[in-house]
Amino acid sequence: MRIHPAWLGGLIAVAGFADQSAAPPSSTSVLVEICEKGVPKDGAWPTAAVATESYTEDAFGFFELPQKYISTGVRGDRAFPTLVRASAPVQLPAGKHRILLRSRGPAKLLIEGKQVLETPFDQPRIYRTGSGGLNAGGGGVPFNEQDNYLNLGPDFRFAPPGNREVWGSVEFSGQPVAIVLETILGGLVPKSTAPFRPEFGETVVAVSLEGTDTWMLLSPGSRTVRYTDEGWATYEAERRERLAAMNAAARAQQRAAHAAYWTRRREAAAAWLASTPEEPVPALPSGYPAYNAIDHFLADRIARVAADYAPTGAQGGVDFHRDIKPIFEAQCYNCHQGEKVKGGLRLDRRQDALAGGEGDGPAIVPQHPEKSALIQRVTSTDPDEAMPAKGDPLPATDIALLRRWVAEGAVWPDFARQSFALTAPASDLVFLRRVTLDTVGVVPTEKEIAGFLADQAAGRRTRVIDRLLADPRWADQWMGYWMDVLAENPNLINPTLNNTGPFRWWLHESFLDNKPLDLFATELIRLEGSERFGGPAGFGVASQNDVPAAAKGVILSSAFLGVEMKCARCHDAPAHASQQKDLFKFAAMLDRKPVKVPKTSSVPMDHLNAGGRVPLIEVTLAPGSAVAPAWPFARYCDEATAAALVERADDSRDRLATLITAPQNERFAQVMVNRIWERFMGRALVESPGDWEKSTVSHPALLRWFGRELVRSGYDMKAMTRLLLTSHAYQRAVDPALTAASPLFTAPAPRRIAAEQLVDSLFAATGKPFNLEPVNIDLDSSRPIASNLDLGIARRSWMLASTSNERDRPSLTLPRNQAVSEVLEVFGRRSERPDPIGGNRKVEDNLLQPALLANGTMMSWLVRLSDDHALTRIVMESQPVEKLLDRLYLRLLTRPPTTTERERALALLQPGYATRVVTATPAPAPPAAPRVRTPYVAWSNHMSAEANVVRAEQAAAARRGDPPTAKLDPAWRERFEDVLWALLNAAEWTYIL
Amino acid sequence: MNRRKFLAQSASLAAITALPRSFGNPAITMASPRGKAEHCIVIWLGGGLSQIDTLDPKKRGSSKTRTAGTDYDLIDTAVPGVSFTAPMARSARLAERMTVVRTVYHNIGEHGQATNFIHTGRPINGSTVYPSFGSIIVHERGAISEKAPPYLLVGYPNVSRGPGFLGPRYGYIYLTDTETGPVGFSPTDKISAERAARRQAILQPLQNRDEAAFASYAEAQRAALQLAGPGFMRNFQVDEEPAALRQAYGGEFGQRCLLARRLVQSGVRFIEVSHNLNFINGAGWDTHADGHLNQYALVQELDSAFSTLITDLESKRLLDKTLIVIGTEFGRPAEFDGGGGRGHQTRSFSLTLAGGGLKHRGAFGVTDHLADKIVEHPVSVPDFHATIHAAMGIDPAKNLAAGSRPVPITDGGKPIAALFG
Repeated sequence: MRIHPAWLGGLIAVAGFADQSAAPPSSTSVLVEICEKGVPKDGAWPTAAVATESYTEDAFGFFELPQKYISTGVRGDRAFPTLVRASAPVQLPAGKHRILLRSRGPAKLLIEGKQVLETPFDQPRIYRTGSGGLNAGGGGVPFNEQDNYLNLGPDFRFAPPGNREVWGSVEFSGQPVAIVLETILGGLVPKSTAPFRPEFGETVVAVSLEGTDTWMLLSPGSRTVRYTDEGWATYEAERRERLAAMNAAARAQQRAAHAAYWTRRREAAAAWLASTPEEPVPALPSGYPAYNAIDHFLADRIARVAADYAPTGAQGGVDFHRDIKPIFEAQCYNCHQGEKVKGGLRLDRRQDALAGGEGDGPAIVPQHPEKSALIQRVTSTDPDEAMPAKGDPLPATDIALLRRWVAEGAVWPDFARQSFALTAPASDLVFLRRVTLDTVGVVPTEKEIAGFLADQAAGRRTRVIDRLLADPRWADQWMGYWMDVLAENPNLINPTLNNTGPFRWWLHESFLDNKPLDLFATELIRLEGSERFGGPAGFGVASQNDVPAAAKGVILSSAFLGVEMKCARCHDAPAHASQQKDLFKFAAMLDRKPVKVPKTSSVPMDHLNAGGRVPLIEVTLAPGSAVAPAWPFARYCDEATAAALVERADDSRDRLATLITAPQNERFAQVMVNRIWERFMGRALVESPGDWEKSTVSHPALLRWFGRELVRSGYDMKAMTRLLLTSHAYQRAVDPALTAASPLFTAPAPRRIAAEQLVDSLFAATGKPFNLEPVNIDLDSSRPIASNLDLGIARRSWMLASTSNERDRPSLTLPRNQAVSEVLEVFGRRSERPDPIGGNRKVEDNLLQPALLANGTMMSWLVRLSDDHALTRIVMESQPVEKLLDRLYLRLLTRPPTTTERERALALLQPGYATRVVTATPAPAPPAAPRVRTPYVAWSNHMSAEANVVRAEQAAAARRGDPPTAKLDPAWRERFEDVLWALLNAAEWTYIL
Repeated sequence: MNRRKFLAQSASLAAITALPRSFGNPAITMASPRGKAEHCIVIWLGGGLSQIDTLDPKKRGSSKTRTAGTDYDLIDTAVPGVSFTAPMARSARLAERMTVVRTVYHNIGEHGQATNFIHTGRPINGSTVYPSFGSIIVHERGAISEKAPPYLLVGYPNVSRGPGFLGPRYGYIYLTDTETGPVGFSPTDKISAERAARRQAILQPLQNRDEAAFASYAEAQRAALQLAGPGFMRNFQVDEEPAALRQAYGGEFGQRCLLARRLVQSGVRFIEVSHNLNFINGAGWDTHADGHLNQYALVQELDSAFSTLITDLESKRLLDKTLIVIGTEFGRPAEFDGGGGRGHQTRSFSLTLAGGGLKHRGAFGVTDHLADKIVEHPVSVPDFHATIHAAMGIDPAKNLAAGSRPVPITDGGKPIAALFG
């Protein structure tokens, strides 16, 4: 039988606790011991728990343990279950005080060795309607069970979902007493090995002194923490920062423990650099500006291409890109482009065209159409010889163009004719908005703008870049990109379609720590740490996938080597060099054992041969065959390279990581700098960063040089970013005529803003709190770890997760999360990521983008001046209306208004400005209704009718948003909101200039 | 004979036999039948419709005594030899306008994965996200009207209903509440005309910019503004309909079906309506244990809405142009679980087609005495998809392009020939 803790209140007499014979403890902080050993698995208190870690706290208030880090600093799991013991001497004034104990797991409170309060071993809370197995369903906990809760004072904080609570009165003598709190985290489902999430919930010991009705956390020192909603929120926020610092220190410590090996790797990289030729930085052609070596490479290329065009430009001759390439594309490239071509002839590169195909001689002999096989073929009437092989012969005009082009020397510049003139550096404010969005993912604040404008000394832009690179928000800005590239795809409820663990937390910590990119890749490939709580092991999961290792092989090879092996999952493809066998060798290295090809990862041969024609694809690996671990990419790096560099030679997974990240594998460094380049320049040097077979390198020398710089820097992502951001090329103004960045990087084009940048910036700029439900359906922790995730409270967009709900149950929705997710999705963020994206998202304009910005629920929150809205505070400040308008433009658009914009806005804001603040004292508030705990909907109770009603009310409340402030005159407020609406709907929000 | 001459000679032959372009299609397929439906409404019963309690009834059983079999009384339908159960009485009278395909099968017992399979017709894999039938139909048939989006979802968004590799252009616009209208097109705050004009006046100079890249966004902005205008949004005022008709459709689910009919009239190509209100029995269609207790009322709600949709479309001469599909991820077994409900059954279950100009026959396919094993005419999920596509005038063997990879619309599916001609 389950006893509700709320029934346990009452007086508990504690005899003998005031015995002063024991030496009084002297510490003023709470000692927290984490015991992973000696904790029984059968739901009983341990008799011999062994502390394996410890730290200190200010008070008896807990919501999260510091993370446990393993290996080079990845999150690991603690034992299931783990006991936490918190102890401290506490001195309270003499008297009979009320003591409150709250916990998620079972807990007990001992004073001077005597147990005074206890919460029960009643988690599991898995119920289902009727009968059935523990994991079969659930959702049938009676909704009214929530009606039992403690209410012990006028500002008493009600227990959050899923916490047991109990209180008692205890007599204190006025002397210090030893307080011990023990609780068990991550207990097991009875008669099972399935653990619950190891969570504190809100584990606290609080006290209300005799004669008072307020509560505070029990604390050994001078610190007082009021245990009210507000007091707890402040305390939690402060302790979260401390936890983050402790976690960072723990990661650093783990990494330091492996420094010897990684130092050897750095030395090996230095040796390799020394033993291979440097890529010389070209001299700067005259007339070109340059801030660093990158500008030299780019200018050199521009000058050369411009020179290529000079002759044809002078003669008004045939232009390859304008006149010839379209003919090739339409008529020839089906068979004569790329690695696999007919007759051995490639027509996509000049040197191959000059060399010609099998037995045909040079396809093109410059100046000599009559000697060029190409001209012969397209003019021939012999069906055995004529080209194109299928369809009509070329029109006479095309043939004439080809002839003239060859006669003029077959000039074949690498780039289409374009403006070779560079744009000037972008203006200060445009630069600041661009660089701030690019590095920290939000627009600059008023303070950041003012600081930048005030700094008039030389090097101010570089100082801004350095400030931004040191900003922890740097990590937020990289999240969406890597979650796409690595297909991070956790599901809140039962893992299903290719779900992974939430390795987002590992990603985020990697960027916080500016982890060297070779270590980053190595950690991911090693698949260590916690699968369900944020370690790289979560990447290894692909639920419901027939060969997870192959799925991960496709992702890893594309992410780190630019090798696309998607097709090789089931067959050898015409467009890619990798065979199915290559992917399965790779997968087997990852899996540390031979991997079998299931029938579902193949194409039946009878399908292939149907129709009596040669199929485009081939299956060379019979279903059922097993492929042993082997390195398939000798073309990038010899398999023997691993022997000298690997840390764990007997582990094929570690060898795989080493072969991918070895400096000898130049491809890895180049793929990584190409990704960095694409992110900041809006166009990559290899345009398909995840599939290098699909495009050519636009700047080979620059790419090679940049790759070597990455190796030289110790694979330092921030150092490479700094190089790029400090270049003239990055800082140039956009060319308004361009819709895509110039391939020669003479000028950037406006870049589409990423969904996360847009949403985070809208919240940051307006100052409306990003206040959403927890990203969690199992609020009261009633389900084992395999079934549900708790992704916490989102502070940035990347922290949201799919609220997809295959059963279509309204009670399983998260309305406020959904209101933000729907905006993110139309701007290109995928809530579900079952497959990877090769690089930057390709997002098209669609109707829903402006529709949601104009009419969406999230936007209505941002536009309405509620009490918690930062703009409410700002419009109430005493300042001229013109200044208010300027500030609004700076906050939102990082620029002052134009004359027309100013006139139109002021016409609305000036009338009534002087009287906008309501000075009349508000009518006395009606007598407050009795405080009640807000009911919650969670997995545990979601099948009940009440849960559906409550959730529907929450959805309606989300749509309504917060009420407008009463501090502003409604008519003026509405006019201001209309101006705000228009500013938020400006198209310039959706681009980075 | 060299390759070139062979090709020249066989060109005329190839034109007749229409050699398939990719590996996915056995070459011998005869031309697929083509129907003439213009619209499609999918009614989605998330959780798994109990076919044995509704559209493929067998001998009586009892949830109280846990006796395997149908839990409700059997009734005759308008088609001789075809029975439904009592809570499906109104639909039974219209059975000659529908075909319950009783022999659909797969082997996926988990909700999410099975929902994905029924929507896409393909098993999941980690490298290609396949489009839903809705997205494929919209991709192949396009929008009917500039004034209406082609694909509307009345229900919660998820990846299974999405466009996959076809790209966001072929995705849905969704709503979860008939009264509030689709997300993004109904202002959360009711703004007066005066305020709306004020907002546009401030916005106007902000849109006058030089950047060429902004042009297509501005274009989308204008189009969105038009959709949010009174023309299209009027479709969501279902209270314009006669009270008797609204009543006949029934509760919120019925109103969704009524909305679907209005959307068909306004030129929406594809509509998925999810029956996602688990107020009636807590569990919706996932009737494990005591979720089964109020299933009777749930089925009645479906019956009212479905039968009224058929007669309403018919009275507006839209039934032959509108294919109605009742979709669900799997069925449920004849046996009861310990709590008096039913588990999941994938080896045979019922999906239903109505209207759309098909040659209906009440039911197609035969299952055994417990609606468990297929006795006659198994219909794979790709076959069922092929039937939908063929009814919509789409060649189920046509290749779509996932990047450079050709992907046939269905995975070798063949339309149910008996429903055409």
